[in-house]
Amino acid sequence: MPINASRPGGTNSKARPSASRARRPVAPDGLRRIRWPQEDNKIPREIFTDPDLFRIEMDSVFTGPVWVLVGHESEIPQPGDFKTLSIGAIPVIVIRGANGRVGVLVNACAHRGTRLVEGPSGNVLRGGFRCIYHMWTYDTEGRLIAVSLPDDFPAEFRKEDYGLPRARVETYKGAIFATLNDAAPPLLDYLAELTGGLDRVLGDGALRFLGSIKVIFRANWKLYVENIYDGYHVTALHTGFQVVRLRSHGGERLVPNYERNGHLWGRSKSTPVNELTPALRDMSLFDTRTKPTTDHNMMVVFPSGVVTDYFDTIQLRYVIPLDLDRTQIEFAFFGRTTDTDEALWHRVRQGPEVLGPAGAITLEDAAALERVQLSATARGENVVLKGTAKRFPPYRHVDEAPIRHFYHAYRRLLGFPAPDTQKADGR
Amino acid sequence: MALAGRVDLGERRQAALDLLTQYIRIVDDPRRIEEWPALFSDDAEYIVITRENHERNLPIAVIRDDSKDRIADRVTIIREFWGAGGRAADRHYNDAWPRHVVGPVWVEFSESGDALVGANFAVYQSVQVDVAPRLLAVGEYKDVVEFSGATATYKAKKVILDTSVLQDVFVYPL
Ligand code: FES
Ligand SMILES: [Fe+2]
Repeated sequence: MPINASRPGGTNSKARPSASRARRPVAPDGLRRIRWPQEDNKIPREIFTDPDLFRIEMDSVFTGPVWVLVGHESEIPQPGDFKTLSIGAIPVIVIRGANGRVGVLVNACAHRGTRLVEGPSGNVLRGGFRCIYHMWTYDTEGRLIAVSLPDDFPAEFRKEDYGLPRARVETYKGAIFATLNDAAPPLLDYLAELTGGLDRVLGDGALRFLGSIKVIFRANWKLYVENIYDGYHVTALHTGFQVVRLRSHGGERLVPNYERNGHLWGRSKSTPVNELTPALRDMSLFDTRTKPTTDHNMMVVFPSGVVTDYFDTIQLRYVIPLDLDRTQIEFAFFGRTTDTDEALWHRVRQGPEVLGPAGAITLEDAAALERVQLSATARGENVVLKGTAKRFPPYRHVDEAPIRHFYHAYRRLLGFPAPDTQKADGR
Repeated sequence: MALAGRVDLGERRQAALDLLTQYIRIVDDPRRIEEWPALFSDDAEYIVITRENHERNLPIAVIRDDSKDRIADRVTIIREFWGAGGRAADRHYNDAWPRHVVGPVWVEFSESGDALVGANFAVYQSVQVDVAPRLLAVGEYKDVVEFSGATATYKAKKVILDTSVLQDVFVYPL
């Protein structure tokens, strides 16, 4: 497994596999059967149904040279606070250490691999993480601090060699990113121009965590992520927007830094609430009260982080592939520390009702993606058409063309042959 | 007990149980969802929240219909936004047939005579795209039922979900 996580104080060289292996993933023989057309607007459906590919993605993408969005500092405000999630298939603990610094530890005991924490969140300032199996105990930095009955251990056993693997962690305006790969560039280089959009949503980073909701989508993780790049479906699929006659009045879909990382920054300006058809008695779902204009940002930090400030809803999403056809989405909601009580409560009332598992503008995505997944066994290719006359960003906010850049970045990581970017069929 | 002379708690208990039965029959029948708001009082709230958020005092709920308006809006969202239940036959986003299994039910009374009704539930949904029914959610109701004459309505219906991860998106109220 190409994890290049470092162990605190570790001298165990086996814990540091070579970075070069992780840097140059090569599609193994089994994947040659996946035929990518020359045109970059065609996506072979096998990539949503191939179990070998899924396993390879967990390494080549999620433990590749990427930065994975894993949380916001306000979710773990106090020393010892932690939350759990996965980076691809690797279970991790995102923790604020006793020293106040944020760390990301692999959630598996260094002895015989037992999951250390099961729950979604908690605090371990007192006692650290104690493994139930043989009672090894780790501190908030992942250092092994106590071992039960070590008297007959080999003479060379040293606790320092058995810390929990740690991911590299960097934060940007409070957003926590982790990488398990030494070859990942510094976070700022990785985010590049996307910081312009992140600044708008994250502000100076002073957010207040309001809670999160997690739900399982019955679709491959790539279908979930590519859907965010797709501006074409927004008015077609989301009938609620049609019912209240909410439109986008301009905007664009940028793929900042597309040549390297394939992030997305979608910007749009929507109809103000007082000009909408009042189909609901309580139209606060579609109201924008905390911003001067109805401009919204919707971003993907490649490969699996979503950041948005749609209406007044400040939301981070963490996309966790569970299986080929099952993906867990965590919707985390935030307010600003400067919010009045009224503004904060408005966010609480709006967020999940619009962008959440029971949200007026979310269910449809789940339904559509499940159906794409269901028929992906039909083979053939999915095709991207709208906006593909343009080869490079910026695209219009109603275009689906940015999806191509997601797959450019994806193909690079997996070692699939690069597409011919001069060719886009069907126009 | 102060109320004993004025109201018949046995009757109220039965009315609260009947209300729960009505509720289940309506949310389990996509054709009847228009009848759902009438089960609530004018200042009622309907909240679906995970046990995790409930216990951590985090305000984010899966559903926070904290007014009668929002309760009525849910029907509009189901019918008009999602096209569920047949009115917009071409737009069945998730045409699920829900099925609640509820019990046991326990009833207590507050000082003011409201019934505090608790119940365990499991909700399955059967969807067109799948042959097997899907277990959607397991949890507990914590309801407050108020009475006006012989009529019982929900002043509050709180649905607490045992797992932090919802197994599926869903259309009809839990
Ligand atoms: S597996 Fe954790 S102490 Fe043995
Ligand atoms: Fe969508």
